[in-house]
Amino acid sequence: MNIEINGKPISVSKDFEDATLLDFIRDFAGLKGTKFGCGMGLCGACTVHIDDVAARSCQVLVEEVGDQSVTTIEGLAMADPAGSFHPVQQAWIEESVPQCGYCQPGQIMTAAAFLNRNPNPSNKEIKQAMNGNLCRCGTYERIRKAVARAAREGKINARN
Amino acid sequence: MLETDAISMSRRRFLKKSGWLAAGVTVVTALSYPLIRSAIPALPTRNDPLPEDGFAWVQALSDGHIRFFCPRMEMGQGSPLGLCQIVAEELNLSQSEIECVLPDTNQVPHFKMTVGSEGIAKYFEPVSFGAAQLREKLRSIAAKKAGLPREKVEDSLGGFLLPLGRQIGYGALVPSEPLVLFADDYPSSRKALPRYALLRRDKYQAIGQSWKHHELEAIVTGQTVYARDVSLPDMMFGQVLQPPTFGSLIKSVDVRAAEALAGVLEVVINKEKNFIGIVADSPLVLPEAIGAINVHWEISEELNQDQLDASLDVDEFRARDEFEHILASDGDIGAGKLRSQNAVAARYDTSFAAHAAIEPRSGLAWVRKNKVEIWCGSQDPFFVQQRVAKAIDRRVDDVIVHSHRMGGGFGGRIVCQASEEAAILSAATGRPVRVQWDRETEFQNNYFQPSFSHHINAGVTDEGTISHWQHDFVSSPILTGLVPPAIGWVLDKVMADEGTARGSLPQYQMTNRQVRYSDIRTPIPIGAWRGLGSAPNTFAIESMMDELASKSGIDPLKFRLQNLPSTSERLAAVLHRVAEISGWGRHSPKNTGYGIACSVYKNVTAVAIVAKVHIDHDASELQVNKIWCVQDSGLVINPDQVKNQIMGNIVWGCSMALKERITFEAGAVEQRNFHTYEILRHGESPEIIITLINPTNAQSTAVGEAAFAPVAPAIANAVFAATGKRVRRLPMNFDNVFSNSGS
Repeated sequence: MNIEINGKPISVSKDFEDATLLDFIRDFAGLKGTKFGCGMGLCGACTVHIDDVAARSCQVLVEEVGDQSVTTIEGLAMADPAGSFHPVQQAWIEESVPQCGYCQPGQIMTAAAFLNRNPNPSNKEIKQAMNGNLCRCGTYERIRKAVARAAREGKINARN
Repeated sequence: MLETDAISMSRRRFLKKSGWLAAGVTVVTALSYPLIRSAIPALPTRNDPLPEDGFAWVQALSDGHIRFFCPRMEMGQGSPLGLCQIVAEELNLSQSEIECVLPDTNQVPHFKMTVGSEGIAKYFEPVSFGAAQLREKLRSIAAKKAGLPREKVEDSLGGFLLPLGRQIGYGALVPSEPLVLFADDYPSSRKALPRYALLRRDKYQAIGQSWKHHELEAIVTGQTVYARDVSLPDMMFGQVLQPPTFGSLIKSVDVRAAEALAGVLEVVINKEKNFIGIVADSPLVLPEAIGAINVHWEISEELNQDQLDASLDVDEFRARDEFEHILASDGDIGAGKLRSQNAVAARYDTSFAAHAAIEPRSGLAWVRKNKVEIWCGSQDPFFVQQRVAKAIDRRVDDVIVHSHRMGGGFGGRIVCQASEEAAILSAATGRPVRVQWDRETEFQNNYFQPSFSHHINAGVTDEGTISHWQHDFVSSPILTGLVPPAIGWVLDKVMADEGTARGSLPQYQMTNRQVRYSDIRTPIPIGAWRGLGSAPNTFAIESMMDELASKSGIDPLKFRLQNLPSTSERLAAVLHRVAEISGWGRHSPKNTGYGIACSVYKNVTAVAIVAKVHIDHDASELQVNKIWCVQDSGLVINPDQVKNQIMGNIVWGCSMALKERITFEAGAVEQRNFHTYEILRHGESPEIIITLINPTNAQSTAVGEAAFAPVAPAIANAVFAATGKRVRRLPMNFDNVFSNSGS
């Protein structure tokens, strides 16, 4: 069994087939940017993209991924061949969003998938879209500004 | 006397070294309680830094960089960045020339745990001193090298400027090994040393700039290594069976089924330490292996919330007129009451709370014959070092703690229990072992913010002054919450917990006042949580101020201002300013209200908050729409970081006001994850407007916990303005505000 992460097929060892995608990404693939926060899909720290849709990797089993492609925070910038940062990451830098930073990869993955679907969101839509991602340090206001900035700067075009 | 002098001396030295002399532990030592002798050693590191400590933190490297061993741990508060800017100011550096390192415990001498919003306030001086000394030492080397007097060697970016426009970088002055200064070589030069961080007020180069954090790009690309992300080759995976209730003891255990599972290397049992842990070759095996352990617990504690509430009930203490500590007793309450035109008596309650940092703690340990290494994220790596040494019976100096950026701290990471567990498992197997707590373990096994119950009886004279103020409250010891119970019971006899009392003396002028409290130890583990007592105490004080203003028919802002002493100009200034930016006093639409509150955190940082609240009856929602905050924390090293911290404080304050409550049932925590312990979510977070005031020549003061305390009372006061209903118990929500009791 193989699954594709950040454009690369990775062969899954037998014992990881019924593991969560989060455990597989972190402890098998060794990609540590995707974080464990709650293990119940309540906090969003483990958010990745599965075929460009945001998903909680702690709630998905490896065997459920099938031939869909998985993108993690480490692979996000690859979608933008021009720069080393995805426009959402760039906006996060411009707005100096993070405090402890632990939840931010998940926030960024949620925001990137959301903007891909809705490139010109209202403030209210941003709040709704980001509501599933907890930030204990309280960076919500800057997250809103960064999402709005990424949208405003217009570098995200809806694919598909 | 049971003790020998030698034992007293070594303990005394230890206590001095770790700062506990100041906390009154000497009294205990003098009493020579034999039972506490073996229990004393592992205590949090409390000594404040001396200016000379700065020598150990700043080094010049031959590649031209300055290495800064940052004596503050990073948990998102950003003080390491601010301290880098102070280093840069002294050494004329650009940001890229500084290598900021969170030091291992064997790289620098002991430093104090990272707590109390003092990262800049207390470390500005030693960091600036050490960096300035290094600059002047480098200047001497440059002068010698060029055969010039020191005065001819002028400052330049990243080095010096010699006559005829010749530049010389720091790197050229450092042959190969890093240049390190030692305090003993510089006995009396402190006064003569020019300190750019103090002198350049009008022309700072680095201070006052919004430098971006050196880890920002790594964070947004997922490259930052938190403790949970560390791994070693051949690492094994461990988990410890946690007790079902506080203080449960292992009665009997059968681990045969767990041992028989494929992948389980060893089951480690130490009944004396109440410890059962699994070591496995895959993390995936752990849940099943833990589940396969057959254990009978001796349940010692079946405490529930009602019993806890009863033991911390201010009314009970008032009925007995019996409080342990009197914080203030001025004038004559009875005489004051006679002058009172409008009196209010009210009770205010806040809840137990958890830190709920998004990164659950994790530790990786590798115990070898002559070396023990720990990788973790802790606010007190030297405390972790001691505790690990104790847990595996090794010398403290054998243990090296490698510190990582923490995924949130908030007072909750003074200890790293997962590191101690990993060390025990690694010691038993000789392999590196990683222990990661899950969310449930984190909620069940850490320490908590205690609940507070307050009663305030106060009044206003016909001139609008405060006639009397009697404030009684009950909670648990916080600063000494983590000491072993045997010491704790003794400490409580001789000292009042300052953490519990933080912020409990009002800033207002009061001739007749009495403030009393009791700090009661319960079986619930208690420790530091953002701001300690400041938010619960400010909630009571600032709610009562609002009640008094309203009962006297005086605008709440005006009432506060007219009762501030003339020495409180900085608090008055933030109040005036917050009124200005929020448009205080304007007419509010139906179901909308504005509330104000203020405090001076640790008597140094003045904060004023205005909250705008809207009640949506159709949706049955109480919404906090907007918060305005004005803060005076003196000299601002990095405005963008300070504003980010204030924003975090405001969100934390909304969360305390609207969401957070830990409860206990049958000796355990009832909340296990974020569906039952809710913290503020994005959709509920208000718009935030922040203004900083920076008076000329003011020193930097506390930021990390400062703006938090007045948030909840500002919200409660806004609810009153919108609805006429008083909120006297937190957390509040639509249902409890509009239920019959109204509070």
